[in-house]
Amino acid sequence: MSQYRVSGKGRVDLSKKINFTFEGKSYTGGQGDTVASALLSHGVHLMGRSFKYHRPRGAVAAGSEEPNALIGTRRGPGRFEPNTRATVQDIYEGLQTNAQNKYPSLKFDVGAVNDAAYMLFSAGFYYKTFMWPRSFWDKVYEPFIRAAAGLGVSPTEEDPDHYASRNLHIDVLVVGAGPTGIAAAKAASAEGLSVVIVDENREIGGTLLSEPQAVIDGIPAWAWIEQELAALKAQGVKVMTRTTAIGYYNDNLVGLVQKLTDHLPSLPADTPRERMWRVRAGQVVLAQGALEKPLVFHGNDRPGVMLAGSAQTFLNRYGVLVGKRPVVLTAHDSAWYAAFDLADAGAKVQAIVDVRDGVSEALIAGARDRNIPVRLSYTATATKGRLRVKSLRVNRMQGGTVGAAEEISCDAVLMSGGWTPSLHLFSHTKGKLAWDDDRTTFLPEMTPEDCVIAGASRGLWGIEAALNDGAEKGRAVAAALGKAGNAVSYTVAEDRTGSGVSMKELPTDLSPGKAKAFVDYQNDVTAKDLRLAVREGMRSIEHVKRYTTNGMATDQGKMSNINGLNIASDALGRKQPQVGLTTFRPPYTPTSFGAFAGYHRGSHFEVTRKTQIDAWAEENGAVFEPVSQWRRAWYFPKGGESMDDAVRRECATTRKSLGIFDASTLGKIEVVGPDAVEFMNRMYTNPWTKLGVGKCRYGLLCGDDGFIRDDGVIGRLGQDKFHVTTTTGGAARVLNMMEDYLQTEWPDLNVWLTSTTEEWSTIALNGPNAAKLLQPFTDVTLTEENFPHMSCVECEVAGMPARLFRVSFTGEIGFEVNVPAPMGRQLWETLWEAGQQYGITAYGTETMHVLRAEKGYIIVGQDTDGTVTPYDAGMGWAVGKAKPDFVGKRGLARPDLVAEGRKQLVGLVTEDGSKLEEGAQIVFDASQPIPMKMVGHVTSSYDVGTTDQPIALALVEGGHSRMGETVFIPMPDRTISAKITGTIFVDPDNAKLKIPASAENKGVAA
Amino acid sequence: MNALTSLPTAILETSAARILLAKPKARFSLRARGDLAPFEAALGLSLGGPLGTRASTGSRETIRLAPDEWMLHSTPSDAAAIEGACAALYDAHPHSLVSVSAREVTVVIEGPRAAELLTIGCPRDIAKIEPGSGRRTVFDGVTVILWRDAEDSFRMDVWNSFAPHLIDLLKIGARELAAEVA
Amino acid sequence: MLLIHCPYCNETLPELEYAYAGEAHIARPANPSEVSDEEWAEFLFMRSNVKGIHYERWRHLHGCGRFFNAVRDTVSDKFLTTYEAGAPRPDLDTLVNTPAEGGK
Repeated sequence: MSQYRVSGKGRVDLSKKINFTFEGKSYTGGQGDTVASALLSHGVHLMGRSFKYHRPRGAVAAGSEEPNALIGTRRGPGRFEPNTRATVQDIYEGLQTNAQNKYPSLKFDVGAVNDAAYMLFSAGFYYKTFMWPRSFWDKVYEPFIRAAAGLGVSPTEEDPDHYASRNLHIDVLVVGAGPTGIAAAKAASAEGLSVVIVDENREIGGTLLSEPQAVIDGIPAWAWIEQELAALKAQGVKVMTRTTAIGYYNDNLVGLVQKLTDHLPSLPADTPRERMWRVRAGQVVLAQGALEKPLVFHGNDRPGVMLAGSAQTFLNRYGVLVGKRPVVLTAHDSAWYAAFDLADAGAKVQAIVDVRDGVSEALIAGARDRNIPVRLSYTATATKGRLRVKSLRVNRMQGGTVGAAEEISCDAVLMSGGWTPSLHLFSHTKGKLAWDDDRTTFLPEMTPEDCVIAGASRGLWGIEAALNDGAEKGRAVAAALGKAGNAVSYTVAEDRTGSGVSMKELPTDLSPGKAKAFVDYQNDVTAKDLRLAVREGMRSIEHVKRYTTNGMATDQGKMSNINGLNIASDALGRKQPQVGLTTFRPPYTPTSFGAFAGYHRGSHFEVTRKTQIDAWAEENGAVFEPVSQWRRAWYFPKGGESMDDAVRRECATTRKSLGIFDASTLGKIEVVGPDAVEFMNRMYTNPWTKLGVGKCRYGLLCGDDGFIRDDGVIGRLGQDKFHVTTTTGGAARVLNMMEDYLQTEWPDLNVWLTSTTEEWSTIALNGPNAAKLLQPFTDVTLTEENFPHMSCVECEVAGMPARLFRVSFTGEIGFEVNVPAPMGRQLWETLWEAGQQYGITAYGTETMHVLRAEKGYIIVGQDTDGTVTPYDAGMGWAVGKAKPDFVGKRGLARPDLVAEGRKQLVGLVTEDGSKLEEGAQIVFDASQPIPMKMVGHVTSSYDVGTTDQPIALALVEGGHSRMGETVFIPMPDRTISAKITGTIFVDPDNAKLKIPASAENKGVAA
Repeated sequence: MNALTSLPTAILETSAARILLAKPKARFSLRARGDLAPFEAALGLSLGGPLGTRASTGSRETIRLAPDEWMLHSTPSDAAAIEGACAALYDAHPHSLVSVSAREVTVVIEGPRAAELLTIGCPRDIAKIEPGSGRRTVFDGVTVILWRDAEDSFRMDVWNSFAPHLIDLLKIGARELAAEVA
Repeated sequence: MLLIHCPYCNETLPELEYAYAGEAHIARPANPSEVSDEEWAEFLFMRSNVKGIHYERWRHLHGCGRFFNAVRDTVSDKFLTTYEAGAPRPDLDTLVNTPAEGGK
């Protein structure tokens, strides 16, 4: 057995020997040990270095509130986690752990020079030290801060684990499975109420695990836990251990993180590492207990100095003596029992030093029975020892003055500054706290949520009080849910009730300016820092906190908040409630990104929507780009082609012969009903009344502000039926906007909207040979007379039911064939086969963009930005001015929208033939001083199309009346001149849109 | 209707749940308001009741999704009859009947922990959807129609392009739940 | 995350099923061409941005798809009630003095 393990104590199964490493050295422990308890059983207290001063540190606590003993854990590639608290990490066979913030080694750390230079690192040091000179910022200060900032080291490999999440709806959630929570769950779990009780520890019991002497209704505490666990399960209560309630959100939603594998030597298949539960409970019982406060004195951070209650936990729960010659330093009765338990387990307690001048006779007798020297009305003023405490310096207090010092030799200091109710989750509910002067702490007052708080977390002390309060609150929540609940009451023998006083930093005879009396261990904040912050003008605790960083570390001030408040309020000479308490925010304990991400990582990071033709594109070497949630074929490189080469070829082939394009992602909305045409007239800028059945029209959609929102071709398939298309990214937004107007402004209209985006696979055929290719597959005669540009019909194509549109987004003869979605690939392959005789090319979104730009067709969201009107875009022709109203009509008459000098869409051709950058700013006068007056920007720019020179579209102030003028585009290395042109660069007469008579004959013959 | 060739094989069976892809069916979005009786007579289906109410006759079944909206399912061979029945009503009772047969697929989720499996993506309380009813709701951010056929048997209608994502997630969840049982 | 009562579904459901849709009771003028520039700007741009009781719109996006109205206290984030689109503003005094059916 290891040196500090006490035979017959604790819940660790030493017959199951477990090997692990810390700092490369092997240690053994038993089943049930944490890294901290196992190391302490070997006398190892030094577990890390502090963040700012790199001071040696050991575990100060035994649970999740631990600020010091932060370690990195590793189990193979990718499975490294920094900042794990050694006090909560179970050991398992093969676990590798390391200390943090050490260089080059834990025992000898050069960063500890910061400790000697502590004057530099006082409160607000970031603000003061790094202010001047300005030139030092980039080269000296910032690298220094970067190197010094952060705890631990980030993992460098991708996390191979998976994470899960679940929603759970229940009647009662009990947070904390100590005596209070167990009693509450038992009382509430009646009459079919669904109850869940959670605890962050590996087993339920809470404080009872550390107080085996208690006897509840005649049953020893540990037997009672077993009995109650069985009873809860029998009543259908879901008991979740290793599960932390990290946050309490609106309407009784509590986030739980369940750790499933971090304690296992081998990882089971299909089991996530952590699972985030989103629990919606009818009622919540908060029974999180209380946390012990440290005492604040010089050297209170030396390894071996720890909380008395935690030492008691290490002994009673883990069977480990944290020291063989401990000294107890306290302001609360509870630490006396820690001294008694350690003495009874064989430790030679050097003294009990109490700051109070009197305690109960029972405590005095207990110390006397165990031959423990007692010093009342004493203060502690220093500790000694380099990597481990060697002695405690104490001084007698007489009439408010600090008397002579004496040193007590020891190997551990067990301190208690009293207890703070754990109010974190209660505070998340926007719960109000009330200051309790007697107990010098905040207590819960009221919460807007359906939530009660019970036991030590509302200031009750002792197991019996906790049990009975839990039972009462459990019944209360059952009653709130309309059930009687179980009536239970408890009697506890060997209960250790008691009281104490709350302290600011302990009085000292040493220079307070040199004292390192730590308040926040993790952020290395001392009492002196807090007082300095107040002297320098901080008045609110929120300011003191940010100036000193007190309570801002990963432990969220669990130990330091109240001590910090007491010191700040003393320095301010104001009562604590006037100084205020900082806000507790979720998460309660540090939470992995994986737990928040859940299933949303890797290929599941978000939905990737694919068309029915996507697989063909992938098989044929397409390069993809994301377009909203869709992935779309971007271009189809052939045999090592670059993107530019591929796009140039796709453009040329389409203009010369034939291109095929997957347009399935276009949004589609079926507008049906007697008022369909009226609805279309009101929504779109264009007039629709005279559009005949079988015809289509380009539609422009504005907001009521007059700015372009979306566009698309709309076909009239029947008197009361329109097939509306939208942009790919606009599909959901447009339908939402239409529903909004329909439901809330025009509920009288008899018309309905149905999304048919995914009903159809849409294949676009473009090029001089488009009609020739398609003709053999349909009975529709594809002539200029019978089926002119902007026609549509419901028909069959290649034997499939189809909606055929004669439309063009390229300037070539164009068709869009819609077939039921799952048939899309079959049609695509049919057309692809048949198209081989024309040298057909598949093209992607890039070629589509180039070809449309050559024709001056806009892309909403690229050539428009939410401040562009139809007139700005040169599309006044699409506005039905004679209509009495449409969405945007009144907006278009706003003074700003009819003013001179608006930015208007024009073409740009550079004088030196270079390609402009999209987004580049435009000026009229390149010789003006900087900052220049910017008059617009380039919206689209291409040099891979079918034009002789690169082309661009741009928004330019008053552009429509500046045709032929030269503008300038200043770039980092030069200034480019460009001439303003119209937006149509190819076939301005639309001659290519027409199907020539000869082609018809050929097509039919083919 | 052709097979949905671009979907992954959507069949997985674990001790927790079975996931499979239903056969193609005729699907219509029916929108109407006012007197529902003519539609009920024409379709042979009851359309009333609170949102989420279902009715079925022969191969036809329907679920009310909004005050003026129903999803109608039947066999592919019944599609023309449904269209004909509604078309005859149009002049006297204007409405919208839009085929969405090709728009979406139906994933069947059944087994002892099927309801629990849904909790990985549904924020609402599955227990409040009575067997024999259904809801349009959200699963992992995607709109779906959930039909609860029995305590442990569900159907989920989802648009084609979202189906692979949701099916993958259901598979992960079904394996996870099975590992939990073991 | 809020719980919201949909007046059409008559169910109280998680916020994830809904989309916020801005302030309520801002009606589009019946004859936009007859209103002044100032009135039109008021309709388009001006919102009350209340600290306290706020009339607002939500859409049950992943449910029945209906837009509806709600009264929510923007300080406490509690709903006082929800009601169908087109229904008049509920009386505040009655609402404040009766328990919410909207929130839960």
